[in-house]
Amino acid sequence: MEQVFFIVWRESIEALLIVGILHSWLCASSKYYPGLPYLWGGVVSGLILSVCFAVILLNISSLLGHIEQEWFQATMSFSACIFIVRTVLWMKKYGCNLKNRVEKSANKSLDRSSWWGVFILAMIAVAREGSETVFFLFSMLTASRSSNQTIMVVWYSAFALMLSIITFWLLQAGKRFISWKIFFCTTELVLLSLASALLVSGLDCFISLNLITPIVDPIWDASWLLDDSSSLGRIAANFFGYRSYPALISVLAWIAYWIVILLLRRYFR
Amino acid sequence: MSNYRYIILIVLWISTASLALASAKDLAEFSLIFKPGGYFEPTYLEVPVGRFKLELINESYEPIEFESIPLRKEKVLAPGTKSFVVIKTSRPGEFSFFDDFHRSARGIISVKDLNQ
Repeated sequence: MEQVFFIVWRESIEALLIVGILHSWLCASSKYYPGLPYLWGGVVSGLILSVCFAVILLNISSLLGHIEQEWFQATMSFSACIFIVRTVLWMKKYGCNLKNRVEKSANKSLDRSSWWGVFILAMIAVAREGSETVFFLFSMLTASRSSNQTIMVVWYSAFALMLSIITFWLLQAGKRFISWKIFFCTTELVLLSLASALLVSGLDCFISLNLITPIVDPIWDASWLLDDSSSLGRIAANFFGYRSYPALISVLAWIAYWIVILLLRRYFR
Repeated sequence: MSNYRYIILIVLWISTASLALASAKDLAEFSLIFKPGGYFEPTYLEVPVGRFKLELINESYEPIEFESIPLRKEKVLAPGTKSFVVIKTSRPGEFSFFDDFHRSARGIISVKDLNQ
């Protein structure tokens, strides 16, 4: 039963990081305040989508073949990856990385349509892992055989939610203790690293679907160093795109991703 | 004489085609049963190289998630439901899998090259 707590928190951490970091960036200057409704609008739509996906998974999961599910996962991962990169670069372009420059460039017009990027990113981030969490909680609740068990599920999820809120708050408070520049660079790196992990998991789906060739599968076996099925390996997989048996295509794509990011960062500086 | 050759050729062609079709359809099938309490059976599965179908049966009262990172598969199952995944492997080896909703148990899918 205690896994309810752990799973809800674990599944929400990725979305929490993305939404939390975007929120702290948007709060950096009054010029970004118009973006906040888009961010929260994205979160709410993501939650609604999660419930819809969970209902689909619960009821017509047999109708939805594994190929469609794989396509769905691939689409979600790739679009989340693209929108993270897009939003990070866009925020850099508008001077979010240098707080003191923010006020000076305040007259620089902000493209309203770009706020929709924030909306979509928040929506995908929440819906991606949210659907699984809602599915998990739904079936825990429907399967519980006593009211006592139902109460336990509710309690554990409430605890997990509280922990998530504390994590979110810590993230917001973090920028008060360290310089804005360091805060921005760190959070930027966290987001870009998350995007690289999303790219690798999207590629995994594509390899499974036979859409791309893995070239050499696997190129090496690093399970003796860090097994991606262990707890630590899972964290590395979710945040850096680590694999103990990577396909060559994934390694190449991962390297290419960081080269492109470095070049783009230089361009947008 | 030439007629015989044609007949033999046609028979050979049909038999190889049907063999190929049969082997494509007869996907090696295995099943994995999830028991109440966060366990599954069997924890060690021996499969041939290539494609195989793994039937997932959730006999527990809780949702489960079959996941194998090295085999690039994940699947969530509601309590008391059945589903399957088709897994493709290109080389022999041992690949771990687990129930992501209950981390108490881990299993191994051992891919063996049966032609050797």
